[in-house]
Amino acid sequence: MQSNPLLGRFAWNTLIALLYLFLLAPIIVVFIISFDTRQYLAFPPESFSFGSYVKVFQNVKFISAFWRSLIIGAIVGLVAVSAGMLLSLSLVRHHFRGKAAVNFLILAPFLVPHIVLAVGIMLVIAPLGLLDSYPGIVLAHLGITIPYTVRTITMSLMAVDTRIEEAALVHGASPRMVFWRITLPLVRPGLIAGGVIAFLISFDEATISLFIVSVKASTLPTEIYHYLEYSTDPQIAALSVVLILISVGVVMVVEKLIGLRKAL
Amino acid sequence: MADHHVVIDNLVKTYPGAQKPSVDHVSFSLPRGEMLALLGPSGCGKTTILRMIAGLIAPTSGAIRLEGKDVSSIAVYKRNMGMVFQAYALFPHMTVAQNISFGLEMRKVGRAEREERVRKALDLVKLTGLGDRKVSQLSGGQQQRAAIARSLVIEPELLLLDEPLSNLDAKLRDEMRDEIRDIQARTGVTAIFVTHDQDEALSMADRLAVMSAGRLEQVGTPREIFDRPQTEFVASFIGAGTFFEGQVAEPGLAVVEGLKSLRFVGEAPVGSTVKLMIRPHRLVLADSAGQPNSFTGTVEHIVYRGQILTLNIRCGGRLLQADLPTHAGVLPEKGDEVTLAVAAQDVTLVGQVAP
Repeated sequence: MQSNPLLGRFAWNTLIALLYLFLLAPIIVVFIISFDTRQYLAFPPESFSFGSYVKVFQNVKFISAFWRSLIIGAIVGLVAVSAGMLLSLSLVRHHFRGKAAVNFLILAPFLVPHIVLAVGIMLVIAPLGLLDSYPGIVLAHLGITIPYTVRTITMSLMAVDTRIEEAALVHGASPRMVFWRITLPLVRPGLIAGGVIAFLISFDEATISLFIVSVKASTLPTEIYHYLEYSTDPQIAALSVVLILISVGVVMVVEKLIGLRKAL
Repeated sequence: MADHHVVIDNLVKTYPGAQKPSVDHVSFSLPRGEMLALLGPSGCGKTTILRMIAGLIAPTSGAIRLEGKDVSSIAVYKRNMGMVFQAYALFPHMTVAQNISFGLEMRKVGRAEREERVRKALDLVKLTGLGDRKVSQLSGGQQQRAAIARSLVIEPELLLLDEPLSNLDAKLRDEMRDEIRDIQARTGVTAIFVTHDQDEALSMADRLAVMSAGRLEQVGTPREIFDRPQTEFVASFIGAGTFFEGQVAEPGLAVVEGLKSLRFVGEAPVGSTVKLMIRPHRLVLADSAGQPNSFTGTVEHIVYRGQILTLNIRCGGRLLQADLPTHAGVLPEKGDEVTLAVAAQDVTLVGQVAP
């Protein structure tokens, strides 16, 4: 039997198209629903308007939770990158007893289900009086984001030839100067990638946040969850589209800055 | 020796957990402006010495004196050394000019002076006009030059080079060999370079320090090292040679088993057992077998190498290597019986065997 190359190509392209459609379908549906004028979620919409978007931007709860999430995400990103940098330096550049144990501990949050982590973190920070507070939610998010920043920064750091740092030392740079002028610039891709991932995880995270925050420090995902408990209208779809656009925006900025392939 | 520019005094480095020291009581010194090669097989401790001088690792004991002052406890970044690394280790996120300027910035040299000195350094290494290039845009040889400029621009006490030519291809290596020598001579900087390549060491250095297994074997000019090796290791590591063991019958005369007696130059007590060495190119064709210091044997193997002919001659049960110039008249052929002679001063005493 002779194979038809044209037919094979067509079948292959169709398969790829279907796969992409499957992956993107929920987003496409949400995008379309967000313009629906009815007060419940249904597909397909009957008529279109920007009404839901207007409502989202007038919803004080959403807007204030959005700003809180943004601030929390930014703090988590910065702290997770700083902590990740220090941890990576000690793990890559130094040998000490119990290094394997530390390595495992840092990666442990990858292995434990978030719901289990959530209960654990809640039990730890409740006695400290940190429930429903910025420090509480930041700490909780650091626990799940630091493994990622350690990962990305460690990868960048391992690619740095230590002889480059030695060359800087010999030619007159103190260890502090070597860090700021040589090591840090060379691991920049890992820092940016880690920071962005940490921010996005914090910004998106719902499971753990639901256990930690209620009113004062509620994040956007927890507000969405609570909103969905009582009402299902296209506002949620509109808000989802806004969040998707923000994520896409962040990714595009990173792509512009360092190139995603280099960062991840 | 005490007033030399650089004095390495009984330097020892034993790594934690190691049984034997990597560097074992090594001492040598350099006058100002000299270029010294640290030569030895890999793992002999030569790079460890270089890194101790730079300050990248701390010696277990011993001193490194510059102008009489021990610097071994001064931090690496305050020692004012220049170092060219084996793979150059240029800063990949900076331009060539920024790389060269780095040491000056660390020394808080003003911008105008910095720019002037970087320009001069670029001229010195023939990279004029390439200051704005990225490091990745330079060829291997150009990176080498940039690394040298980065080290020299700070006017270091001492220039250290770690296997400076090993990353270059053969043609570039010859060119850079002359170039480095020329730059060193023009700047007058005192320099130490590490190499495992004897040709490189012999052709570039004013003096050589030959090392083996952490110990210094011999320090001397290229001619002293090649013509008067003091140990069997130096004799066999640098150049080829045939070795003999013999009993000293009278001063300067040793009886070698299976051969006649050999006259040699060097002090050895009568009755002791000595190791002697003859370089292949010191053997010459002789007319008669009666001469002192002559060997008669059968040519077992011949390799024609253009300017010279390398012969392996079976003589009294041992194999003798001889290099004859190809213009030396009638050349022997395989199976011929030949007589070779050597002058007493070309029979080198390379060691005594403990009785």
